[in-house]
Amino acid sequence: MTDVREDFINALVDLDETKCIDLAKQRVEAGEDPFTILEDLREATDRIGNMFEEGRFFVSDLMMAGEILKQIMVVLKPAFGDRKIESKGTIVIGTVEGDVHDIGKNIVTALLEAEGFTVVDLGVDQPPEAFINAIRENKPLVVSLSGLLTEAIDSMKKTVDAIKAAGLRDNVKIIVGGGRTDEEAKEYIGADDWSDDATSGVRKIKKLAGVA
Amino acid sequence: MEPAELYRQRLDRLEAVIKGKEPDRVPITAMVTIFQGHYAGYKAKDVILDAAKNKDATLKMAADFDFDSITALTGLEGTIMSMTFLKSAPELIPAARFLQAQYHPILKDVYTKWPGIELEDDAHPQFIGKEIMKVEEYDQFIENPTEYLNRVALPRICTGLAEPGSPESNAAFSKYGAQLAAFGASQGDLIGSLAAMGYPTFPTAWSYSPLDVLGDFLRDIKNIVIDLFRYPDKVKQAVEALTPMLIESARITGTVPPEMKKALGTDIVECFFPLHLNEYLNPKQYDEFYWPALKKVLEETIAMRQTPYILFEGRHDAHLETLLELPKGKVIAVFDKTDPRKVRDVVGDHVILSSGPPNSLLIGGTPQKVDDYMKSMLTDCKEGGMMIYPGVDGGISGDARPENVQAMIKAVKKYGTY
Repeated sequence: MTDVREDFINALVDLDETKCIDLAKQRVEAGEDPFTILEDLREATDRIGNMFEEGRFFVSDLMMAGEILKQIMVVLKPAFGDRKIESKGTIVIGTVEGDVHDIGKNIVTALLEAEGFTVVDLGVDQPPEAFINAIRENKPLVVSLSGLLTEAIDSMKKTVDAIKAAGLRDNVKIIVGGGRTDEEAKEYIGADDWSDDATSGVRKIKKLAGVA
Repeated sequence: MEPAELYRQRLDRLEAVIKGKEPDRVPITAMVTIFQGHYAGYKAKDVILDAAKNKDATLKMAADFDFDSITALTGLEGTIMSMTFLKSAPELIPAARFLQAQYHPILKDVYTKWPGIELEDDAHPQFIGKEIMKVEEYDQFIENPTEYLNRVALPRICTGLAEPGSPESNAAFSKYGAQLAAFGASQGDLIGSLAAMGYPTFPTAWSYSPLDVLGDFLRDIKNIVIDLFRYPDKVKQAVEALTPMLIESARITGTVPPEMKKALGTDIVECFFPLHLNEYLNPKQYDEFYWPALKKVLEETIAMRQTPYILFEGRHDAHLETLLELPKGKVIAVFDKTDPRKVRDVVGDHVILSSGPPNSLLIGGTPQKVDDYMKSMLTDCKEGGMMIYPGVDGGISGDARPENVQAMIKAVKKYGTY
């Protein structure tokens, strides 16, 4: 790997915002293949994910990484022109009904996009029908139900029950995520997996999508 | 047992733990928002918007569940109001400390959403927060926080007060004042009714972690986190400007008249601190921006002979060792997602430990699973004194199953004795 690629990856992992975005701009201006830059982004987010899981990165670090990623994608997207970024598949994500919190969901969305997934983000306070419609329209590999409140657990259960009742449960894998989810909650809700942090959530979503 | 006797027994149990002794058994301090309502057959909006229904529900729950103390907290974070009135109207702080649903249509605050108003009738009230202070305004805030809060922030937080001096704003202030008085009276009535049933309440002072004031109320969580990377010096100065105000808040609200102490039967004054950014920050940020200011407020509060009651929300694992810097046995520390066993390993009995079964267990578990969980936790952690805070974080969930809550109480009586 060239020095500039390694520098770019390190700048993102070190959360050096100015350096990282400058390097992204320089690389795009120099006419470098944007797919190479995208590959580096994935390498960087992989390392960030590992560091989080090893306890060397914290939520604030992930939030800053997400902020930098967002800015880099703005720089990078025009460079693709008509060439399509090949998607690893579609993930539907949303905060369940009765809950309007979205910090965790937004980090997961940024990381999934950097990983190369197409993310359909339904937003917050979404009733079961919104997830059902999104499953029918987008044929996602995984549906990710997000929520911060304890009350989100019951709302997630209602959503999974509604997906079952609509006859769609076998078409998708379902993960629940948020600070109040755990193994007990997963069993109660009837989900396939759970996560209370963004990076293990992304790892588990990849696994459920069969692209780990 | 007679209510007066129950009152004394429960108070003795709680006081013993707070004073570093082992009581007859581990006490259970219940905090509820919606649970009492569901138990009594109400929807969230009924108990949130109607003090009489909340009282009815809370007393029904108090009669049927043998907790040691009960806090029915229907409001959402509102320390910004306490800070705003700190100098000019400190007597308003206790009633203004939490934003209540009754204030919301008057103040039209931008922070909160409520059942029966913006949310469906049975939803939990939600604090959303908002970016109130622009990043360019740090200097203005640092120069005079009180002026900034009153003249710039308040009209932005409460759109009902957006134009100071206007008929709308004057009317809103007047109605808000009336609601503060009504809420204060209903709280007093509820506490009195609980006392008559044998439930003690400690006088409670109010403070906050300085950096959390910025994160929760002024810059929004996302922005404060980014500010720590981009503008660390400004954040630090703002935290320094807030620190004396939070010490002052503890002093003012913790000055309890002797006759009240006598009526409640205790000389203990708790001072409430909910921590929010602790889980978010990496240890470097925590040690640089969060802990020094919080530690100072805690030390001053302890020097005033109050007992800080700290909710360590989320996972506090990475920062546990800093607690050893506080004087021993002087703070009650409620742990949410941090395993209480780990707390015992790292800080021993340096803090008064409180933890509890998580809400996922109270909602989705069975009485047997609750019993197993409590047995294991109490066996491992009760030595040296401990308290149970069922549901942790936000207290007992509105969706918790009553039979699981009863199983928790039964388990504490079985495994929590000394």
